[in-house]
Amino acid sequence: MATMAPPSPSPDTPAHRPNVPSAAVRFPAIRDYEQVDRDIGRTLSPSLGWFAALSIAILCMLLGATTWTYQIHEGLGAAGYQPPVMWGVYIITFVFWVGIGHAGTLISAILYLFRAGFRTSIYRVSEAMTVFAVMTAGLFPILHLGRPWKFFYLIPYPNWRLIWPNPKSPLVWDVFAILTYLTISSTFLYIGLIPDIAVLRDREKNPVRKSILAMLSLGWRNSDREWRHFTRAYLFLAAFATPLVLSVHSVVSFDFAMALSPGWHATIFPPYFVAGAIFSGIGMVFTIAIPLRKAFKLEHYITLNDLDAASKLCLFTSMVVGLAYLTEFQVAWMSGNKFEQDYFWNRVFGQWAWAAWIMLLCNMVLPLTLFSQKLRRNPTWLFILSLFINLGMWFERFVIVVPSLSHEFEPWQWGTYRPTWVDYGILLGSFGWFFMWFLLFIRQLPVMAMSEIKELIPPRLKHPDREMDHELTAGTVYPDDTGVIH
Amino acid sequence: MPGVMGAFHEIDAAVHAIEDLKKNKTGDITVYTPTPRHEFEHAMNHPPSKVRIFTLLFGLAGVTFGYWIPVWISDYWPIVVGGKAIATWVPFTILGFEVMVLIGGLATVFAMFGLSHIPRLTLTVGYDARFSGGHYGIFVDTEPDEVSMVEGILKKHGAEEVRRER
Repeated sequence: MATMAPPSPSPDTPAHRPNVPSAAVRFPAIRDYEQVDRDIGRTLSPSLGWFAALSIAILCMLLGATTWTYQIHEGLGAAGYQPPVMWGVYIITFVFWVGIGHAGTLISAILYLFRAGFRTSIYRVSEAMTVFAVMTAGLFPILHLGRPWKFFYLIPYPNWRLIWPNPKSPLVWDVFAILTYLTISSTFLYIGLIPDIAVLRDREKNPVRKSILAMLSLGWRNSDREWRHFTRAYLFLAAFATPLVLSVHSVVSFDFAMALSPGWHATIFPPYFVAGAIFSGIGMVFTIAIPLRKAFKLEHYITLNDLDAASKLCLFTSMVVGLAYLTEFQVAWMSGNKFEQDYFWNRVFGQWAWAAWIMLLCNMVLPLTLFSQKLRRNPTWLFILSLFINLGMWFERFVIVVPSLSHEFEPWQWGTYRPTWVDYGILLGSFGWFFMWFLLFIRQLPVMAMSEIKELIPPRLKHPDREMDHELTAGTVYPDDTGVIH
Repeated sequence: MPGVMGAFHEIDAAVHAIEDLKKNKTGDITVYTPTPRHEFEHAMNHPPSKVRIFTLLFGLAGVTFGYWIPVWISDYWPIVVGGKAIATWVPFTILGFEVMVLIGGLATVFAMFGLSHIPRLTLTVGYDARFSGGHYGIFVDTEPDEVSMVEGILKKHGAEEVRRER
């Protein structure tokens, strides 16, 4: 779990030691374990704002469902597909949600392995975001079907002549990769939740809810035996999840990179997609966590230092994504390949220039403001920026999918694409679906890991003067007199 | 399971009680703590978790199975695609890796469940709701003639509450 804080003489005088993470550094306003239970438990109480947000989300989802029903009745032509562009908003939005889904587990698992302190505040939100984003992404291959009730044809199983799908196809890899990812991410989220569900179980007064929580907590008792195996299992799951994320989004990029279309057939795609996924995921974490922080008064838990650290990661991934954009242009320029050069010229100065410039502005230019420490520590700006990042990353996928399909090798393959209200309705419905699950989640289960936060609070001591035989784990943070972390 | 339970509010008191109980060889000790702490790990001195063995074995089984699936599929109805060999290990590495993670990850979780003896239908004796909040608990599974001595040790080290469980 998190790098734990050393015992402190008393809650009022927390230990101030250089290079040792302590409550004075991480959570200065939190006195004891009971306060953590109270503060985080408060987020489970419904509020008017929560009901309003849930109503809007359900309304959007119903709008999407109605639109889909219309599309099933009218056929896929209602969605604006016409040759040569037969992949449009649905595939763009599929990759958008898969990208957001990948970042959540990456933020949780990789920051856990690297013992990044700011992970504790945001990882539960990230993991929940992952599961719901992948659930949302999983709808799009089905939405893209003319006969969605035949969705099981997507699963790689043999036909009646016992011929199996080609295992060298990226579409087969995709099924394995995304199902594995959904399973491991859901497991990772659930395992981390078990000790917190036990806390809720022990405090619950309603007998029905208590028995449901007892079942979900699997009879967890916080015993030394359980923690010993839990911490190992959690570490190994994180170690599996980290390369899994890298592999899964690489596999999603192979859906494009294995094709010969100009703009797609590039070896840069796997790292480019992975960096983009982390970038968009951090954007969505800001979009979700900053309003939550404000609404539930969690400023003591999601501190400005945490936002500052996450912003640096956001800035770094933005620069990696920007480098990937520029590298694509450089490779096309130096390749001597007329089709590649034409395609990239068309991308920035041709019919899709408006989309490409939105992408470049939102993903490359605006995040540069995070070089300013003042803006990195400004939650309002981070929230606004995160909306631009979400927009920019959706348009990145638009720029990848549509211009390539609309400008292939020969003039008869050139065309255009105009999404219809059906596309936009289903896009809106996907946001409604995602936020509906997320809002239901935060009402039922803790949005922050109570047991991990407790690890960072110095435990109470009876004899503060006596030397404890504990292991001090070296950290990397220490505040100066103004409370700024260096 | 009869025994004695002590509830502590301070970690050092609980650790010293465990050390004293171990010195007096009073019986099996179970510690309840709201969050994992190295102090208890050192005091209890348990061997490392065996979860890692399951992770390794099932991870290896997974990668083997993950390679076997596409090789078998390709070999079952051999069609040359794109001039490539029937069984090509490079693209099959993706399936090998994914299945390794899937089986290895799930085995890790089930091993954790098995070794921790969960799921459990009822909370066993000695557990108290305070142990998921701000208290530490020590439960000693001891013989009836040693109960008084265990109670004495727990009280001596500052247990907030000591009670007999049966």
